[in-house]
Amino acid sequence: MSGVNLSRREFLTTTGLAGGGLVIGVSLAGCGASRPPVTPEAGSFVPNAFLEVTPDNVVRFFCPRDEMGQGVTTGLATIIGEELDVAPWNMDIVFAGPHEEYANPIFDVQITGGSTSVRGHYLPLRELGAQCRELLLQAASRELGLPVGAIATDDGHVLADGIRRPYGDFATAAAALEIPEAPPPLKPASAFKYIGKDFPRVDGMAKATGTATYGIDIDIPDMHHAVVKRCPVVGGTLRDLDKAAALSAPGVTDVVEIASGVAVVAKEFWQARKAADALEVHWDLPELAGLSTADIQADYRTAMETEEGLVAEEAEDIEAAMGEAETVVEGEYWAPYLAHAPMEPMNAVVRIEGDEADVWSGTQGIGAAQGLVARYAGLDKDKVRAHNTWLGGAFGRRGTLTHVVEATQVAAATGKPIHLLWTREDDIRHGLFRPASLMRIKAGLDGEGNMLAWQAKRVGGNITPDTIANAMPGLLPTAIGDSVIGLAVGLADHAFGGWVVDGSSVEGLFEDYEAGHVDVRHVTRDHGLPLTFWRSVGHSYTAFAKESMIDELAAKSGQDPVAFRLRHTQNNPRLNRVIRIAGERMAAMQPAPGRHLGFAAHHSFSTDVAEVAEVSVEGNEIRVHRVLCVLDCGIAINPDIVKAQMEGSVMYGLTAALHGNLELVDGAIRESNFHDYPILRMNEAPSVEVVLIDSDGEPTGVGEPGLPPIAPAVANAVFAATGRRLRSLPLRLS
Amino acid sequence: MIEFTLNGERVRTDAAPDTPLLWIVRDTFKLKGSKYGCGMGQCGACTMHVDGEAVRSCITPLAAVHGESVTTIEGLGTPASPHPLQTAWHQQSVLQCGYCQPGQIMSAAALLAHNPNPSEQEVEQGMAGNICRCGCYPRIKKAILAVASDAAGSELAEEVTT
Ligand code: FES
Ligand code: FES
Repeated sequence: MSGVNLSRREFLTTTGLAGGGLVIGVSLAGCGASRPPVTPEAGSFVPNAFLEVTPDNVVRFFCPRDEMGQGVTTGLATIIGEELDVAPWNMDIVFAGPHEEYANPIFDVQITGGSTSVRGHYLPLRELGAQCRELLLQAASRELGLPVGAIATDDGHVLADGIRRPYGDFATAAAALEIPEAPPPLKPASAFKYIGKDFPRVDGMAKATGTATYGIDIDIPDMHHAVVKRCPVVGGTLRDLDKAAALSAPGVTDVVEIASGVAVVAKEFWQARKAADALEVHWDLPELAGLSTADIQADYRTAMETEEGLVAEEAEDIEAAMGEAETVVEGEYWAPYLAHAPMEPMNAVVRIEGDEADVWSGTQGIGAAQGLVARYAGLDKDKVRAHNTWLGGAFGRRGTLTHVVEATQVAAATGKPIHLLWTREDDIRHGLFRPASLMRIKAGLDGEGNMLAWQAKRVGGNITPDTIANAMPGLLPTAIGDSVIGLAVGLADHAFGGWVVDGSSVEGLFEDYEAGHVDVRHVTRDHGLPLTFWRSVGHSYTAFAKESMIDELAAKSGQDPVAFRLRHTQNNPRLNRVIRIAGERMAAMQPAPGRHLGFAAHHSFSTDVAEVAEVSVEGNEIRVHRVLCVLDCGIAINPDIVKAQMEGSVMYGLTAALHGNLELVDGAIRESNFHDYPILRMNEAPSVEVVLIDSDGEPTGVGEPGLPPIAPAVANAVFAATGRRLRSLPLRLS
Repeated sequence: MIEFTLNGERVRTDAAPDTPLLWIVRDTFKLKGSKYGCGMGQCGACTMHVDGEAVRSCITPLAAVHGESVTTIEGLGTPASPHPLQTAWHQQSVLQCGYCQPGQIMSAAALLAHNPNPSEQEVEQGMAGNICRCGCYPRIKKAILAVASDAAGSELAEEVTT
């Protein structure tokens, strides 16, 4: 059987299911609202959708991507500010509303994710910044009666003839000028004032003083609070409900049945929460209720043994190659379901008034939020004002907006402005998950220690169909009905289950190292838990399997683990260099007695990263003391923010490596809050040293690539410490 | 009717006395800096000071602060007049999404008030009740130690000059 490997990018940019018989004939990028992206202040200069210069000298940047902590507001303001010649910290940065102009250049949809923001906007925003500056120069030239060549700029000011005047003085004149077709030339890297320099994030003071507004902080007149009581097993349906007790509880105004459960609405959050907890409700349970984690694992194992799987990468003569190998090593790896657990639980505020509505929510796709409210409130898209806020973490979770749908349904049913907040328990148990995965890798080396064959198979669920199911209703025009969407979603499910490999399911399992023959298969097994992108997506589990196996191969053939990696990345110079530099640093690390080093490297989101973990093992306890992270991400817009992303990715990855586990018991997630779904804390956190490779290449991903190598680096260090290979996440010695 | 002092002002409310302080501060008094993260004392996002002690306001019933003095992140400092920890957080780009940080800073402020010169280990132990999902721990630790040593430095300078 053969299959087509489709990355999520390709999928998202495909407007239908090519070859699947159904093509939805609209471009998703063209589905934005028709209202103009920016409503200018009087006399303002608005050369494009991203910039506004007001006569009183506010330089406003409409940031097209969502700030979930990754530093995108600082990063993109730096990029546009470099050519505009305005310091990022002197700009008024606002979150752009939904509009096609703000589509992510890599996905063609207004979505923030996939570590694409800086990559995608690096050139376009510089051009727009340069264009705006050019027009201000021309306006200044006319007004001052000086040739453009005699005028310079500095941080939002025009400099000429000994005068220094703010851009705002020329805003109105610039607005009257024709915008030239071709953008002016861009600065050479040697002239950069802000790109590549370290300075504090633009959002630091607001966030340190509690004055940054997140979705949860939105407070509007007459706002009521909603809490949803949900079936413990995903997909259960309401059998019977006694509303009476809840309705008589203090503050409660409404009890509403919605698709995902029963919403209790009250004047205060706490009243709604207490009444929801006390609600008498019975559910009809779906098939999933018969399953626990052990059943799913057993099913995966059967599939691993009995099913050939779809081809993600094919080597016809893999068995023969394996037969020639001197050393053959085989390993099976497990990664569990995980929740994202961003610090701010999901929430949305929706107000419907006549044929108009407002929605506030911190999302990775404000365009989808607008579309969902329109669809579920039965309104025109351009009658829905969608307001983005700061995001209290996201990690992929805020790309799916069921909470916006819920808030809309409750607002529509009650006629009240609704603030709907998921509890932490909702977040851990009822969200969307990083898929569990069973992976098997078999590799063969010749007598000289060269890799002859690499055979890998992964069994588990696919992310893309669920993502499409959740995104389509928000992204497609409301005229496209639910039944068509249902059909498309069913088709996607079918496609990825039967004839197309979802790229997200196997990415990272085989691409990094050279082997004579590479064969990769995928078997879809889906038990109905909703799945989605989780920081670094497929790489979050494939890197663990791949880098554990590489380490084992080196050990089994008596080779140094760094030398073994270098030898198999000869045609991959960027990764090779990262490995070499990390290896040299590792050789100089000199761990204290009782501490051991582990190495791992991985390429993801166009960035190459190698990590070294210094670990000690006492009894059954694994402690990570120090992490070295070496990366090449092209030019670093703000090196300090890149380092922070590596530190954060290491911590996020360590939570998964040391603690992260969701256990299904009779179809329900057992864990519920931070006491049983622990997050790494400061007393467990290693120090992290980040080495950024100097580069003038175009910028590549930063938010996710630091994560994949950490779990295998720790596992490989545990092997160095104990001689035991841990092939299951989270890593447990007992 | 329960009365307490909130950031220096007398306030009163007739909300149910078992309502957690967090929701009273956020929804009744509209101070949104303190955050909800877990609702069970596990994450520290809701940390406030009650008579100078760091408490988890999500599990502190309103009744428990009757007559007490409550300080929130808004009472600690403002963008125009920040607390030294807030300045350090900004200058050192300690934060990412920022959601946990009001709680982190309130815990750190209480820690330094009780122990102006903590060791690295004392900071780790003192801050272990605050989760940061973005993983800003190395920077939080560094910023707290820097503020402590700055304060020690300026005290020393004062001693030398007086
Ligand atoms: S919200 Fe209070 S400790 Fe988590
Ligand atoms: S900064 Fe995001 S949770 Fe701490």
